[in-house]
Amino acid sequence: MDVATMEPRTTSLVGASTSVRARKLADQIATVVLWIMASSIILLLALFIVYMFYLGARYLTPSFIFGMPAETSAGGGVGPEIYNSFYILILTLIFTVPISTAAGVYLQEYAPPGRFRELVVFSAESLATIPSIVMGLFGLLVFVYLFKWQFSAIGGALTLTLLNLPALMRVTQEALKSVPDTYREASMGMGATRWQTVLNVVLPSAIGRMTTGIVLIAGRIFGETAALIFTAGLSVSENDPYDLNPFHTAETLAVHLWYTHTESIVPDVDRIGNGSALVLLIMVFVFNIAARVGGRALSKRLTGRPT
Amino acid sequence: MISSIARRSHRTERIALTVIRMCAGFVILAMAAILLYLSVEGTKTFFVDHFSLLQFLFSPDYDLDDNHPGAAIFIVGTLLVTVFAIVVGGPFGIAVGVFLSEIAPKRMAQLLKPAIELLVGIPSVVYGWLGLTLLVPLIRDHTSSPSGFSLAGAGIVLAIMILPTVISLSEDSFNSLPPSLREGSLALGATRFQTIVRVLLPSASSGLAVALILGIARAVGETLAIQLVIGNATAFPKGIFGPTATLTTVIVGEMPSATQGSLQEHALFSMAFLLLIIAMVLILLVRFALRKRT
Amino acid sequence: MKRNAALAALLVGISVSTTAAFADTSITAAGSTALLPLVKDAAGAYQAANPSVKISVSGGGSGTGINQVAAKAIDIGDSDIVPPPTVTGLVDNKVAVIGFAVIVNPDLKVKNLTRKQIQDIFAGNVTNWNQVGGPDQKIVVINRTRGSGTRVVFEKTVIAPEKVTEGGLSEDATGTVISVVKQTPGAISYAAFSGTHGQPVVEVAIDGVAATEANVITGKYPFWSYEHMLTNGPATGEVKKFIDFVSSNTELLNKNSFIKISDMKTSETNR
Repeated sequence: MDVATMEPRTTSLVGASTSVRARKLADQIATVVLWIMASSIILLLALFIVYMFYLGARYLTPSFIFGMPAETSAGGGVGPEIYNSFYILILTLIFTVPISTAAGVYLQEYAPPGRFRELVVFSAESLATIPSIVMGLFGLLVFVYLFKWQFSAIGGALTLTLLNLPALMRVTQEALKSVPDTYREASMGMGATRWQTVLNVVLPSAIGRMTTGIVLIAGRIFGETAALIFTAGLSVSENDPYDLNPFHTAETLAVHLWYTHTESIVPDVDRIGNGSALVLLIMVFVFNIAARVGGRALSKRLTGRPT
Repeated sequence: MISSIARRSHRTERIALTVIRMCAGFVILAMAAILLYLSVEGTKTFFVDHFSLLQFLFSPDYDLDDNHPGAAIFIVGTLLVTVFAIVVGGPFGIAVGVFLSEIAPKRMAQLLKPAIELLVGIPSVVYGWLGLTLLVPLIRDHTSSPSGFSLAGAGIVLAIMILPTVISLSEDSFNSLPPSLREGSLALGATRFQTIVRVLLPSASSGLAVALILGIARAVGETLAIQLVIGNATAFPKGIFGPTATLTTVIVGEMPSATQGSLQEHALFSMAFLLLIIAMVLILLVRFALRKRT
Repeated sequence: MKRNAALAALLVGISVSTTAAFADTSITAAGSTALLPLVKDAAGAYQAANPSVKISVSGGGSGTGINQVAAKAIDIGDSDIVPPPTVTGLVDNKVAVIGFAVIVNPDLKVKNLTRKQIQDIFAGNVTNWNQVGGPDQKIVVINRTRGSGTRVVFEKTVIAPEKVTEGGLSEDATGTVISVVKQTPGAISYAAFSGTHGQPVVEVAIDGVAATEANVITGKYPFWSYEHMLTNGPATGEVKKFIDFVSSNTELLNKNSFIKISDMKTSETNR
């Protein structure tokens, strides 16, 4: 080692010992391999996107996007299913966001270390790991059988609430963590109570990050299937497909895609499948972009900071 | 002398604290309710129908006409599919995590990270559909599988699905390692690759373990993506390209037609309860791994 | 204040639409994918004539239909079979007769199979098509899942006393089965006429008797069943009117390859 420059003396491979040459070669090969692996992920995503657009773009006609589904003949659309996806999404968020924000605020701003806190954290972690199909069965037991709601949008939304509580709690906690303590200290120094601090100083500062997180999770809720099959049902009504009643049977777009490929007998399975998959993919894009843009815009308006 | 303003804000503070404490408590309540319901419903097979637990777990004979719901085929199916996914997706995911944390220049990271986020956002039913339309014909035409529905297909789809989880958790654990580790190693003359393999990987091992365990959790719980490509055959797979079934696919396939109160329904709930237990065991493993770090 | 007003408006809106919805009659039907085309078409026609009635129809298989109507999760359970004796309280409303076909992949050029051959294939005793007069091709058996009424009918009327071997692929719905048989060389399965007629699969003749409605009517072709729209308790009101509509609408029955019960020259109990 050349002490003056802190470099290994053998920087040139000429005359270097074989072990050094081998090590350098290994390093180069490994680097190339890792580059290939990383690029393959980007390529994989690109492949999916291209494939889905190629297969599905031609089916995205207004009659498909807004039309009624057909059970037995070709030519059905997915209008009511898209409506139901949004309906259940909004209902789920109405239930989930208040509870998870409150719980997240509690964990991050208030909770003293102790048994209650440990229990909350453990419960949240457990809820997060429960497979969505198991949660769907729980929803079936409680909302369909016990409460006798039959298949309903609200049963599906409540089941999804349970599924997404932990994720939204984490979003809240991370967002709150990102707010510097100096904000809190300044506020309390001026005589505000803890709650006033949280409500008027901390939460607004965190809202950009929270919005990003919520919208991203909303994207995932939009595509949820397993938990809804047994709770929100597999059909929409022909006479009132855009029903406002939360107790109506509400098949969503994602469930419809599954249903078409397992239960359904329409002859144009490919058309419905390709079209629905593409719509779902586009919605993922939309939610992702909205999450970033929305979060940034909200944050700027409320705090002047970019996030 | 507390002014009325101060008194009001104290009251608000107390109400607010109670409300958010109740919300936090709701989380505990929800988890407890789920545990309770599923354990009651899930043990009826053994307490009401008097079917042996050992038979349930180890007998491959799933014969409902004979009142003998042995679930071994599905348990093994879940195991095989998960092992396949983690063997293919685990090292790949860790490698890309390493790449993101140690090697990638900023431009590449800016391209790769949103790509990973998009992959996470794709609903599992779309992955299943992709598997059905892309993978199944490929397997059918190029391997010994006559129909294309196979364990391997499900494993590949799952591996892709758990990649983002493994990647981002691995990247996080590498990023949280102190820079002095790297600097020290490089200063001693090690190449970057050697540094990664001999210094960073061992130090991040508990974080990587968590990444793998959570990847496993994702794989175990996945339902629809598997159901569309695995063939749903109630038999052990004849080789990697043979069809089979998992706990999750049999639940989603048979629950709608299982008569309430029947042995079939109880057996399916027992399988769901088993999945719940597996999930909780995985969480305990994660906590154990994290504790080892300190 | 504004928040409270908005919340109140939301609650009022929900309760208004709730009561409005409950004022209409809503009927849910689910179950057999063999009966599904008929029920769906009938629902469309019925709702067009009666706009205050909302009918939702879906598949799921006969087992699902039986199960859900017994649990009162739906109003009408569509089924290819009579409910098993363990399920009580259901009233059977037979609406039509449907034939089923054993279908094979068209590339095999197999048009006829004897009952014994079908038994052997599905029991797993015969594994190559050249053993039954076809090309040298592995047989891919595609079974129906346990909740399928079609499967029960198949086992009872065609391959009894044998049962289908479990080890093969199984698919849930009529449509999926047809699509898999279409695409998989060497595939064989079974499904209802309402799904198979007109599809690019071969409906195999059983013991020389072709799979047609005419042969079902005379009873020469064995693979058929009644279609049942089960209700929890006797059917009343709109539900009864709808069920009667389904069983009497000749045009829709013919379009979907069903047979009016009154046209049958033979009858069976316990189907």
